[in-house]
Amino acid sequence: MGLITGLLIAPGLVQAQDQLSRAFDLERRGSYAQAAEVYRNVLKARPGELSALLGLERSLTPINRVREMLPAVQAAIIANPSAAAIYAIGVRVYSAAEMPDSLPRLVDLWARAMPGDETPYREWAAAALQRRDRSTARRAYQLGRERLGKPDALAAEIAQLAITEADWPTAAREWSNAVRQLPGYRSSATTTLSPAPERARGEILKALEKEPGPEAARIAVDLRARWGDPLGAFEALTRALPPNPPQQIDALQAFLEQVRTETTQPYLLAQARTMEAMADRWANPPQRARYRLDAARAYVAGGDRTAARRMLTRIADDAASAPAVAAGATGTLIDLLVSEGKVEEASAQLEQYRTTLAVDEYLRLRRAVAARWAQSGDLARAEQLLAADSSVEAIALLGRFRLYAGDLKGTSELWRDAGPFAGSREEATERSALLALIQPIGPDTVVALGEAFRALDRGDSAAAAKGFEQVAGSLPADAGRPEVNLFAGRVYAALGRAPDAERTLRLAATKETPSTAAAALLELGRLFLAHERKDDAKQVLEQMILDYPASALVPQARRLLDQARNAVPET
Amino acid sequence: MKRRDFLKQAGEAGMAGVAGGFLLRVVPPARSTAAWLLIPMDDRQGDHLKAYGVTYRVLERGGKAEWFLNYRGGAFLVPGDGGTSRDASLAGVTSEPLSDGELVNLRAQLQQGNMDAIPLEKPPKVAVYAPPNASPWDDAVTMVLNYAGIKFEKIWDGEVVGKGLTKFDWLHLHHEDFTGQYSKFFLNYAGAPWLADMVQRNQQMATQLGFPNVPADKRQVAREIRAFVERGGFLFAMCTATETLDLALASDNVDIAASYADGTPMDPEASRKMDWTRALAFQNAQLELSPNVPSFSDIDGHQVNSIDRKQPLGAFKLFNFSAKIDPVPTMLVQCHRDVIPDFYGLTTSFTKHTLKPSVTILADEPGAAWAKYIHGELGQGTWTFYGGHDPEDPQHQIGDPPTDLSLHPHSPGYRLILNNVLFPAAKKRELKT
Repeated sequence: MGLITGLLIAPGLVQAQDQLSRAFDLERRGSYAQAAEVYRNVLKARPGELSALLGLERSLTPINRVREMLPAVQAAIIANPSAAAIYAIGVRVYSAAEMPDSLPRLVDLWARAMPGDETPYREWAAAALQRRDRSTARRAYQLGRERLGKPDALAAEIAQLAITEADWPTAAREWSNAVRQLPGYRSSATTTLSPAPERARGEILKALEKEPGPEAARIAVDLRARWGDPLGAFEALTRALPPNPPQQIDALQAFLEQVRTETTQPYLLAQARTMEAMADRWANPPQRARYRLDAARAYVAGGDRTAARRMLTRIADDAASAPAVAAGATGTLIDLLVSEGKVEEASAQLEQYRTTLAVDEYLRLRRAVAARWAQSGDLARAEQLLAADSSVEAIALLGRFRLYAGDLKGTSELWRDAGPFAGSREEATERSALLALIQPIGPDTVVALGEAFRALDRGDSAAAAKGFEQVAGSLPADAGRPEVNLFAGRVYAALGRAPDAERTLRLAATKETPSTAAAALLELGRLFLAHERKDDAKQVLEQMILDYPASALVPQARRLLDQARNAVPET
Repeated sequence: MKRRDFLKQAGEAGMAGVAGGFLLRVVPPARSTAAWLLIPMDDRQGDHLKAYGVTYRVLERGGKAEWFLNYRGGAFLVPGDGGTSRDASLAGVTSEPLSDGELVNLRAQLQQGNMDAIPLEKPPKVAVYAPPNASPWDDAVTMVLNYAGIKFEKIWDGEVVGKGLTKFDWLHLHHEDFTGQYSKFFLNYAGAPWLADMVQRNQQMATQLGFPNVPADKRQVAREIRAFVERGGFLFAMCTATETLDLALASDNVDIAASYADGTPMDPEASRKMDWTRALAFQNAQLELSPNVPSFSDIDGHQVNSIDRKQPLGAFKLFNFSAKIDPVPTMLVQCHRDVIPDFYGLTTSFTKHTLKPSVTILADEPGAAWAKYIHGELGQGTWTFYGGHDPEDPQHQIGDPPTDLSLHPHSPGYRLILNNVLFPAAKKRELKT
């Protein structure tokens, strides 16, 4: 019997499929009206055929004739009253045909066919939103909630609707509901709430605080982290952590990934605290020590040396720490001591742990310690520490020590020996620039200049700038005065002391030293632009281009001039 | 003076220049170090785009200049006074001093080949059609005018409908949608603050001007622009302004706007009902009927925002015209490159089957069914359409950072825009109001 039925039905099916293929071809060729006719023929024979109904919708939409689908939709619903897709088409067609009064009846029919399903209300609202009819969409969602008897149904949709209406507290509450039902919604919640204007952020956080369960708190954590309060976010996270340690570590790890995207101080400290909290929860000693070491480094980078020292001490106290981690901790501790200026203690630590450190790491740390000795004024000890180091990095460093002593000849010789590959590319470039600066200076030794450089490397830029300016005044006009004035001007500019910078840069812009004058005028242009003095910037930049047309800096001056004239966007 | 009279005069002046023309009568200012400065526009030029600005400012100061068509990439001759040479130095524009004797020899050279000298007399008054809140980096023309240092004024619907175009010689349109459908971004960018602002501004303006909706307002603006050209104005349009201007003009009594723009759906028979005699460049185009498809018609060959129809970018080639017989198209195609990489815009190119027979194609993609750069006349004036959005940002997307032209001082694509700005400087006549 089955075989006989199959043989009887098969020709009808084959014919319908042929017609569907033909209609699809017509549709692809853009013959929408003809395609619609073929789809309609298929539907006459098989009113519940979903492919044909979808095809008919696709064909009639571009030619603005969707309204003609109404009879086909009604016949399809009668033929196949349990097919959700047909109801969905119906909702779209009724909406496109601008029959908003008939829509609730269709949705009602659909809801009765599929009790407990949110889809009818979601589709109704989506069709309304397509027409930018937000009040109908809201009505659809509310009706859905009432009919389904679930006060948190369709929460994600209502949240998004609230955002389009800038109703941020409602959006926050609804997202909290949505995440409670489906945790995967959390990233959508954060993504859609985070663009909230600053004035609305407090309201959002308040609304989330009032919500029950940890989900709202986690959304608040994510938002705080995005809104530039990573430390506040971390505090909130610690209050909302799940009960067992593995879940806590997961939550902390996710937070760590989020705050790792920024490198400003609060974010570095938030990273450090998160890693410290993770270390406290790890039972596995090597992993625990590794997190503490990373936390210590992040604390150093974030400027919290006390916390960094606490981490390093805990690694040292932890007998189970792996040797590599212990060596890493020692290196970090010495870096920390050097940065704190505790050079004596750093030296002692370096010698005490010499055998545990890798050779390269030991040499690096020794150079760091030597540099600090030199900056503190003990050049003899610094040079003695590097006496046995024949690396180009050490030679370059020894050249800098000679610079601190004001021994310009010695500096030049050592830096030439060190060549261009010692240290980083930036360091090599800086050495070249300083060589160019000291080259025109007449005397072989200028102690005050060395003092100024030492002050600069020590971080005392104000004293350095003053020192450079005084040295410049003592040098002959044709033997380094403009060059040192230019350097002083740059340091003043970096300090934000515009009048001092302007004074020294103008002193540097003398026609006797054209290349320095061109650089000084360019620097003045930059200074004026940074202080919104566009007319002054234009004047000095024009002077620079016209007076020194052969200078290699002219293209830079032209670009700045374009910026001063608003001829190019600020990039 | 009518356009044809101008062409005649331009031709005569060019020949006069060849024979030792009017520039020789200009007395160079006292600071001059050479009688003339030649601004070469071939590969020796340091900044092709700013060269137009230097020449424009010569005219602005009351000086005269000449455009040597097809000579060294379309070189300019300017007086060798101190002001001009200072301006060129500051701008990084390469200029070469030229004595009177050398100039005579050069003119003889121009006479022998497909070259000509076109006198430039009056700096055109330039208007850019853009909403008041448009940033200066929103469109290629304002960017290049700013970069070259050529002054312009921004105008919008209020000024255009209020007959404000009469005081300008040259009008630029960029990505404005004259069908009033907000470039059909309405559905894809729903909720975007910039779109909400655009919609609000346009609706406010339409209401303020007494129009029932934005499409009606834009249609009237299109009519005013057409009248501006007819009276003798120079119109230059890029991107989607080209296509939608003609669609607005041809749809005088047809609803071509989707319901979100004017409250009623588009007329399904719109393509058939269009009156193309009103349009400047196009005819017999098929309109896109779906409000969901971000395309207006089959005028654009590339259909950048339509996944199924989008065409890849190629390169377009500038046509070579006779400088002495066709000085206008020759001016418009002066460039140091003949083949230029293409760039997308909401309207990137113009399908040839939709072009009116009277249209002059200035550049097209060899072997493709579309043109890139077209020109034509209407009444006393002319129009030029250039497809695409930004010649140096071929795949431009909304929200992309603006193009910094100091990084593209030799851009051949941008040069074509500036040819259009200087082209009206050659025309000496009063606009009829």
